[in-house]
Amino acid sequence: MSVVVIGLSHRSAPVELRERFAFADETIPVALQALRDSGIASEAAILSTCNRVEIYTDTALAPEAAFAGLKKFLVDHHAFDGSLDEEVYTLAEPHSLHHLFKVAAGLDSMVIGETEIFGQLKDAYELAFAHKHTGARLNKAFQRAFNVAKHIRTATNIQRGSVSVMSAAVELAEKIFTALSEHEVLIIGAGETSEKTARALQSRGVKKITVTNRSPERAAALAAELGGRAVPFDQWPAEFERIDIAISSTAAPHHILDRATLEPLMRRRRNRPLLLIDIAVPRDIDPAVNELENVYLYNVDDLQSIAAEYLKLRQEEAARCEKIIAEKVAALLQANKFSTTDGHR
Amino acid sequence: MAWFTDRHCFLLAVTFYGLSTIYSVFLWRKGFRRDDWVNYILLATGVALHTLAMTKRGLSLHSCPVNNLYEATTFLLWALGLASLAYALLPRFKFICAFAAPLLFTVGIFALMPSLDPPHGLKPEFSGGLRSLHAATILQAYGAFGLAAVAAMMFLVEQRDLKIHKLRALLSFLPSIQRLELITTRLVAVGFVLLTIGLVAGSFLPRKAGVSYFADAKVLWSALLWLAYLEALVAHKFFGRPARRFAVGIVVAFVFLLLTFGLTNKFSTLHQDNTPPATNNVVAMLVTRHPSLVTQQ
Repeated sequence: MSVVVIGLSHRSAPVELRERFAFADETIPVALQALRDSGIASEAAILSTCNRVEIYTDTALAPEAAFAGLKKFLVDHHAFDGSLDEEVYTLAEPHSLHHLFKVAAGLDSMVIGETEIFGQLKDAYELAFAHKHTGARLNKAFQRAFNVAKHIRTATNIQRGSVSVMSAAVELAEKIFTALSEHEVLIIGAGETSEKTARALQSRGVKKITVTNRSPERAAALAAELGGRAVPFDQWPAEFERIDIAISSTAAPHHILDRATLEPLMRRRRNRPLLLIDIAVPRDIDPAVNELENVYLYNVDDLQSIAAEYLKLRQEEAARCEKIIAEKVAALLQANKFSTTDGHR
Repeated sequence: MAWFTDRHCFLLAVTFYGLSTIYSVFLWRKGFRRDDWVNYILLATGVALHTLAMTKRGLSLHSCPVNNLYEATTFLLWALGLASLAYALLPRFKFICAFAAPLLFTVGIFALMPSLDPPHGLKPEFSGGLRSLHAATILQAYGAFGLAAVAAMMFLVEQRDLKIHKLRALLSFLPSIQRLELITTRLVAVGFVLLTIGLVAGSFLPRKAGVSYFADAKVLWSALLWLAYLEALVAHKFFGRPARRFAVGIVVAFVFLLLTFGLTNKFSTLHQDNTPPATNNVVAMLVTRHPSLVTQQ
């Protein structure tokens, strides 16, 4: 008996192909039953997300025979009439277990170290378990994968830091202000990135949002969506007395906020800290304002370089994670129970 | 164990502060990324030994051990160390130990200079409840100012990193700058209240005829400090002095306090040590530091 994996992921197949092979949640139990009835697998679980479709099985067949059977199952189940070659990967023990552990830890994800896949893998396993399609070997493999993922999360920095412009902005805000719920955000220019950043801030506790835009209708619409209020575009400087975070992304060809404008406003703010996020290109805010006391200005390049640095750190950390995984897979394979278990459930 | 005096104990405490300082250098170099307990344990061991040293000295004197510059300095450091340990338990404040350790170590080395610890008389000159209250509250105030300076240093490091867009600002496990600013302000306020109580208590102490409390060099120096901290607090709280300038002021004020603390005693009529005659000094020192010798006799 051995655990084998067949799958397509963002690394091997384009989205057009991945979506062709995706399993809807409600069809998975039936597919698993068909797979087991075919005699290819004695235990099976299917993971189907936007970035990957993978079938984990425990089989008595030789790996090559199992791969051929699984590939045929995939093609037949989805009535696919094209050819599948390099788009599909097949892994036998110990690589299959190593892959499972990597997927659980987010090391095989598009954004390395992300945690969403952990929940998706858990759901996939629980669905298979609930319909009695897993047995002793897959149960052990999946449970060990979840434990290893948790261990990696606490023992390494694989999940640390913001790998997007929006989350970098949120992290900056949290480094300046103690409780985001007590601070008001001003959005200047109702663009998509501003909206996403505002939503990210809302998810971390921001309650009050003010929106201003050259088009008052667009400002009102975004304010309504975010549960905030809209102010006329010519009145936004007056808001600086109350707000503590400003996100600017207008299409203005010149600076809309410069040092001469901000200096008296800062005095009126009694020098409370002010975080300015300028995600516009060309820039909306004169870089000279960063020289003012208690003003922290970050433009899109600053945020992107933060995200890139974090990604680099995560990649460096991935080597540590791989080492942990290799040790844990070896330990699992050496465990008598895993290598000798043949029974179901 | 009679040979193991309170000074030996304090020396051990300073050694642990030194180890903590060395460890802190690595934490600084790593940008405070790893949030571990090693430094806390090192500092806590130092503070425990420090407490033991002060207890031994206090028991031998039968009073609060704040009778000479060594004792005053160790008391100040103890207050600072203890407060650092307490603050380090707050979320994201563990690294306060990394900022406090170098201060505890360097001032601890200074306190160990033998000239700062002249022997007392058989009964210390500064015994009595009001004197103990005066000395203890003032030294606790200095401890609070010291910790405020440590928090202000943390603020300045973090604020600078944020200003120049250094990734370390985000990677570090330091608290937000707003929180650091709040903690600094609160510590200065606590120190200010304690200093006020200490100075008021001092004004009620008996003194020699013709010696004016308010003309004494140390009292004037303390009043200057009192005014400096009051000005810093008022300017920051009520007149919007920027947090960075406030933090710099707090660090500068504490550095000034440390550098001039010992010196002012020399010019103070009220704080001159009424040391017993030279022949009694040796006996007094032996009795104070080696009480077992008396029982052996």
